[in-house]
Amino acid sequence: MVADARKAAEVFHATLRDAAQQAAKNEPPSDRLWFFRDARWRCLEASDKGLQAEDICLGEEEISALAPSQIKKLEPEQLAIWISAAPDPQRTALALFYLDEFNHQELLSISELKPPELAKLLSEGRQQFQAWLNATVPVVEI
Amino acid sequence: MRDVSLSRRQRMLIQSAPISDERVNDRAMRAALHRARKTEELAAQRNFDRAVAALVRAIPIPADISEFVPSETLISPRRLTWKKQARHPAFLATAIAVAVIAAVSIFQVVERVNRFPGEATARRLLTTASSTHSMMLDPVKTDAGALGDFFFMKDRLAHYDVPPEFADLHTIGCRVFDDEEGQRIAQVWVVEKRMQFFLFPAERDPKTGKAREFSGWHYVDQERWTGVVKEKNGVCFMAALRGGEKDLAQYISKSKD
Repeated sequence: MVADARKAAEVFHATLRDAAQQAAKNEPPSDRLWFFRDARWRCLEASDKGLQAEDICLGEEEISALAPSQIKKLEPEQLAIWISAAPDPQRTALALFYLDEFNHQELLSISELKPPELAKLLSEGRQQFQAWLNATVPVVEI
Repeated sequence: MRDVSLSRRQRMLIQSAPISDERVNDRAMRAALHRARKTEELAAQRNFDRAVAALVRAIPIPADISEFVPSETLISPRRLTWKKQARHPAFLATAIAVAVIAAVSIFQVVERVNRFPGEATARRLLTTASSTHSMMLDPVKTDAGALGDFFFMKDRLAHYDVPPEFADLHTIGCRVFDDEEGQRIAQVWVVEKRMQFFLFPAERDPKTGKAREFSGWHYVDQERWTGVVKEKNGVCFMAALRGGEKDLAQYISKSKD
């Protein structure tokens, strides 16, 4: 979400601290999703204070059958940077979806999106990422 | 997904289908995925998502963060919804117990409402009716309505009258006997449906000695025999036959008509 390990650690610790304080008051968070919701808002706040990505219109391309081989050539940090540069709520949708930790209802609950919105953001995100992949890791035809 | 016709909702669900199959817990989404399972587009999307998720898992997590996984104590215990509470074994057991108690109570109330003074004697006489043969009775061929005078003249039994509803039926025989409680019982056998009549003293209040009156006809049954009982002038009349209430109902409804 923030593409900065230091900021991410700060968000993580702040969220834990808040949960611990609530637990001390006998009002602990209602479920595990609370942690993700809280961390998401802290990430959005943190990224608002830092450098902002340019608002550009990304191209879209159909998902290729060769995409897995292209993705394998990427470094994890490249993906983290790409997702953190996406505008919210697409950033939230992609970050939460690719964590592969939630079912559909949980995703909607944390991202505070409606089903058609989530579907559109994910679909566009895939196609934009595919376009970026094609530009960054072109498929070499033999 | 062009080969398979999918609704707009199914298309939307597929686009946001979780990467791991175990996270697909929505019936509609499972159905949509099943419908589109052979399409190339779905295969490409799933492979794409799995590759990205694998890359996400490869993102290194600092040791100080991975050690600090929130403990269960930081999360409040899950509150059960009323549906889940209803499925709790303790709740189910209590509900079943309450239902059984309610059913037994209703049954007892209905029984009490239908109960009438002299019911025990009537039941006993139904057993007598089931074991009586016509040969055991003195042959008397007349209308049942005429036997009231007969019982009074012969056995000094006052008010041992057959009600008008059954008075026209022809008799085969009759007898008077003492039951095990020493009560004088008159028994009449009629031709129709091999029906038997019993006339016996109404139950009495032990304190005042007065007959306990009750109004209307009351049904009683015992071992496939059914009786219908009415009290008048301190004497109960019971018509009994082997069968159900509907076999006797036609005689009682006559009087209403």
